[in-house]
Amino acid sequence: MFQHSSGNETNIKLPFSFIGFSMLALILSQLLILLNGDLLISGVFRLPAIWSAAHLFVLGWALMVAMGAMYQLVPVAFLTPIWNEKFGFWQLAITTAGIVSFSAALYLRPQDALIPGILTLLGILMFIFQMFMTLKSQAKPNILTLFVGTALFSLLATISLGITLVMSMKTGFASEYYQAIFKTHILLGTVGWFSLLIFGFSYKMVPMFSLSHGYPMKPAPYVFAIYFAGIIILIASFMTGSHLLEVLGTLMLFSGFMIFTWHVKMIIDKRVKKKLDRPFMFALFAIGCGALIHFATFAGSAANLLSKMAGPIILLYLIAWIAFSIIGYLYKIVPFLWWTHKYSKEIGKKKVPALKDMMDEKLALPLFLMFTAGTTLLFLSFIIKLMPIFYVGQGLIVIGAVLFSYIIAKVVTI
Amino acid sequence: MTELKDKIRGNLKTVIDPELNINVVDLGLIYEIDVPEPRTARILMTLTTPGCPLHDSIASGIKYCVQGMEEIDHADVQLTWEPAWTPDRMTEDGKRLLQGF
Repeated sequence: MFQHSSGNETNIKLPFSFIGFSMLALILSQLLILLNGDLLISGVFRLPAIWSAAHLFVLGWALMVAMGAMYQLVPVAFLTPIWNEKFGFWQLAITTAGIVSFSAALYLRPQDALIPGILTLLGILMFIFQMFMTLKSQAKPNILTLFVGTALFSLLATISLGITLVMSMKTGFASEYYQAIFKTHILLGTVGWFSLLIFGFSYKMVPMFSLSHGYPMKPAPYVFAIYFAGIIILIASFMTGSHLLEVLGTLMLFSGFMIFTWHVKMIIDKRVKKKLDRPFMFALFAIGCGALIHFATFAGSAANLLSKMAGPIILLYLIAWIAFSIIGYLYKIVPFLWWTHKYSKEIGKKKVPALKDMMDEKLALPLFLMFTAGTTLLFLSFIIKLMPIFYVGQGLIVIGAVLFSYIIAKVVTI
Repeated sequence: MTELKDKIRGNLKTVIDPELNINVVDLGLIYEIDVPEPRTARILMTLTTPGCPLHDSIASGIKYCVQGMEEIDHADVQLTWEPAWTPDRMTEDGKRLLQGF
């Protein structure tokens, strides 16, 4: 019955280093997109500058944030200390070197991206190994373990397929399957890795930030099963070219996401904390955006228009669902990290600030409005192909990225 | 003895859950306060959710707070999940603070 304090805190330098690097990658990736807007608007996505920006955003920002957050959240959410912290710092160094050189190679000489790609793969493999060893020692696996474990497996598959693509480009290996591998790479990197990870951690963070109790967890296995089946069916559609499977796959993804949305609403309805704070509301807003994007994907597939809509949909998916979720949660996670570092030895001895005092809530609303307006205009510019709208939309996102980095940096001055 | 336990409980009101900005007593996190031998306290506590990221910080804060009292040299803080915390364990003050937060 009794349990002593578990000592699950991670050395703050580790998650902070990941998050610090990620903020630089965010700003740079958004600037690259701003500078290459004419290509994007004309529907040209497969260009070195766009590849570089996309990988800086997805790997340099979102993946690095996810890694940093997981170094902190996995030990506390799963009540299991990180397997080897020193190994974590080596992983940080190798992953950072890999992503920087890989993004640079994609921009300058894509045909030479293999070695930097392998370095990135090594860093990610080290992370997966670290998490596998950590989760392995968890006393009692639960549904979160399934979400996070499958997300990690998807990450491994994504990066392996990415390396296959670079090899194919360089040597012609598996070139007849290039399109199917490319689509599967994108699907697993977005839906398989990020969505499953966000689902898993949302099940921990939503009740925690809303102080909800007495809600059922029964829908969670259905969310997992239906969403995962959607991923598998969509991969099958890429391999076979079957439109029917594509429609079925997107329908399953949409259904799984809707059950997740409904489940989160059930949890929120059981909250004790009546007034939710803005960053957390923004993370919930991201779920609403995600539901709309999943519906648009299914509707586009049913109308046989998915190939034409793929670019804007992936962009919206990355920004309005994944990035908004990460930004909302990060606004909560960073003050917590700094508070733990600075005040966990002071609590009980003297008055300490609340987490709410450590983040600039006044800047939260303008920031979130800026990101939302920027994304809406960006999406609009893709539809009506108007450059000025693109520049205003993407300009707002760039300013938002700089402001967000400033807010994050400001926390450590408190 | 009851007086000392009440004093410990009163002092613990200075330890807050930083996420909710409410002290651990009004949140209903303190299940038992015991003084099994002179100058030693044993606190049985819980958290609002298992796997709370502030787990170690709050437990340490309670230990520092009680050991900082002149009547106590050693505080043993033990964490339990049984019975699990529910909102009903909050005091009226705690509920009022939370609704207004």
